[in-house]
Amino acid sequence: MQHLDASQFITDQHFSADVVIIGSGAGGGIAAEQLSAAGFKVLLLEEGAYYTREQFKMEERWAYPNLYQEGAARKTKDQAIGILQGRTVGGSTTVNWTTSIRTPQQTLDYWQDQFGLNFVAENDLTAYFQLAEERLNIKQWSVAPNANNAKLQYGCEQLGWQYTVIKRNVTHCANLGYCGMGCPIDAKQSMLVSTIPAALKKGATLISRLSVRKLQWQDNQILRLEAVPVDEHFQPTASLKVTISAKHYIVAAGAIGSPALLLRSKVPNPSGRLGKHTYLHPTVISGAVFAEDINGHAGAPQSIYSDQFVWPTDSKQPGYKLEVPPIHPVLMASKLIGVGDQHAQLMKSFNQLQVTIALIRDGFHPESQGGQVVLDQDQQPVLDYPITDYIWQGMRQALLSMAELQFAAGAKQILPIHHDAKLYQNWPEAKAAIEQLSMTALRQTVVSAHVMGGCNMSATADKGVVNANGRHHQLTNLSVFDGSILPTSLGANPQLTIYALVWKNCQQLIKELSHELQPV
Amino acid sequence: MDRRQFILSGIALGAASSLGIYGWNSSFDENSDNRDLVLSALLPALLYAALPEDTTMAVQVNRTKAAISDFMPYLAKRQQQELQQLFNLLANQVTQLALTGHLTAISELTMSQRWQLLANWRDSYLALLQQAYHGLRELLFAAYYGQPEHWQAINYTAPRYR
Ligand SMILES: Cc1cc2nc3c(=O)[nH]c(=O)nc-3n(C[C@H](O)[C@H](O)[C@H](O)COP(=O)(O)OP(=O)(O)OC[C@H]3O[C@@H](n4cnc5c(N)ncnc54)[C@H](O)[C@@H]3O)c2cc1C
Repeated sequence: MQHLDASQFITDQHFSADVVIIGSGAGGGIAAEQLSAAGFKVLLLEEGAYYTREQFKMEERWAYPNLYQEGAARKTKDQAIGILQGRTVGGSTTVNWTTSIRTPQQTLDYWQDQFGLNFVAENDLTAYFQLAEERLNIKQWSVAPNANNAKLQYGCEQLGWQYTVIKRNVTHCANLGYCGMGCPIDAKQSMLVSTIPAALKKGATLISRLSVRKLQWQDNQILRLEAVPVDEHFQPTASLKVTISAKHYIVAAGAIGSPALLLRSKVPNPSGRLGKHTYLHPTVISGAVFAEDINGHAGAPQSIYSDQFVWPTDSKQPGYKLEVPPIHPVLMASKLIGVGDQHAQLMKSFNQLQVTIALIRDGFHPESQGGQVVLDQDQQPVLDYPITDYIWQGMRQALLSMAELQFAAGAKQILPIHHDAKLYQNWPEAKAAIEQLSMTALRQTVVSAHVMGGCNMSATADKGVVNANGRHHQLTNLSVFDGSILPTSLGANPQLTIYALVWKNCQQLIKELSHELQPV
Repeated sequence: MDRRQFILSGIALGAASSLGIYGWNSSFDENSDNRDLVLSALLPALLYAALPEDTTMAVQVNRTKAAISDFMPYLAKRQQQELQQLFNLLANQVTQLALTGHLTAISELTMSQRWQLLANWRDSYLALLQQAYHGLRELLFAAYYGQPEHWQAINYTAPRYR
């Protein structure tokens, strides 16, 4: 088992391998295990650090700077949307909230219709969902939901709305509620504790704290990649250079990182879609004050969701999924509105706060074409995601649904997380106020933990960046295996979709490579 | 020069020329005095009613300032520069007129003037000032509530797990 920490290198380095994988999250982790099991010499590269459970502190002040992109303060270009993404070995799976949902059939149908992607016969994902579910112990959560989730369930019951008990990728979970800070007992079956150790055992090498800057290519082939170590704040340095050559290159740097790397490398882009059509499940938040303690920091963060509004019959309405987030002091303090007394008073209700979120299903409408990854002066990615009126209108609808739900669940007061909102005492008052809120950037708080798209798959080269198997339409020894290949958002939390798609694509790649890489 | 830099220096230069001062330069330079001055003025306003009123208040403000300095290097370089530029502008008396509508230095404002200042930024027609409001707010609140010393007031206890 080999792990190298690039920040310890003292001279330039060169490595070679059969397959090099850039990024160790959901996509990179699955690929590392599959390809090393098939006998390929695999190098797995990650710009974050390799932390294990003893190092995880259940404190946000440690977790955010050490485990998240931009210290968990990543924002879209106009600063209107806060983006959570992991940056550590295991990627976002090390910090995610364990909700595991198969791709909705409606989404697959839409992809077939719009992008010619056909998930039937040998491309049927069912078998791969099953494989991933077994591998990561994905099972329905059998413990009672914490109060934060229980209120979502109860509100749905009161109103006759659909809800589902969530499946989670955990083993011997102690129901702590700190999934977002790295699981301190290795219960969460993230890539960090499952596929990555398995790949290392089978001979793969992991290089952490290494930021891949560029792929060098000629004609239709990648020749090598260039990377640099990061400093103690995870900023790329110029101190020395690492080059790597491989027979096949798998980009799995996440839906902001992968397009950024390909844009820096100026790879062929005849469809013009590289870095575009990036989706977020843009999310709005509704707080509710209850008489009793909710303690939203304790217990499995997500165990109930409601799909009541995900697929509205009126196609002029964006759909949205209802869930709850974990509630921790920094997350809450930075999202609650106001300053001074107003903010301090809200924080005093910390334990009585129930929080519901609505994730908008973006990408299924001409007025919902997502965002675009661009590079800043340091060649680092920034996502420009303008929110359209169509999305704003869905968000207002979502705020209404959440307020109605929270009052039905017994809330004393509710507070839409919007900078003009107040605590409202009852549903009619909340409804009247929400209908008047100005839905504009920065006044309406918007967040995301699901970045998708930017290297979308498509049957034909004019409609996407990679083909249905994740292979680049133009460069023959390049695959993209992560959330960036999704042609739209999902209407469901993304991890299981990524696991299954990448698993399938790996099996295909292994077959193809054994022909392409005949020993010379 | 990107749009943001342009607007900021536009405001600063406008203020400078209206006061008959020339040669002012918008600066990205890291100046910890400027950061310190601005945070010392804003933290007590933002955290009013959260900060202890006794003699430990100064200690808590200093701790929070330290937490902010520790955190900032993890932000994208671009974001760090924007914040630094904001600190430099706010600390620079010449720019007070345009940015805050007050001629007084930020450190001399009364508490309610500071709240007014924050509210003006929040409601400004300039996206830049709105961004400053939200950016500073999140940074400062996160730094304060990240510290276990401040959890008792909100009745939060972290579990013991090992
Ligand atoms: C807080 C949080 C909660 C979430 N909760 C859930 C949930 O409950 N259920 C669910 O289904 N999904 C959840 N998600 C989303 C899910 O985890 C992601 O969709 C999924 O992990 C994405 O996989 P990926 O392979 O595309 O990218 P990631 O898992 O993000 O991995 C990409 C990796 O590439 C690395 N990288 C980027 N650029 C470079 C570079 N240039 N060089 C080297 N390495 C690089 C990054 O550091 C990162 O580690 C959550 C996400 C977050 C952040």
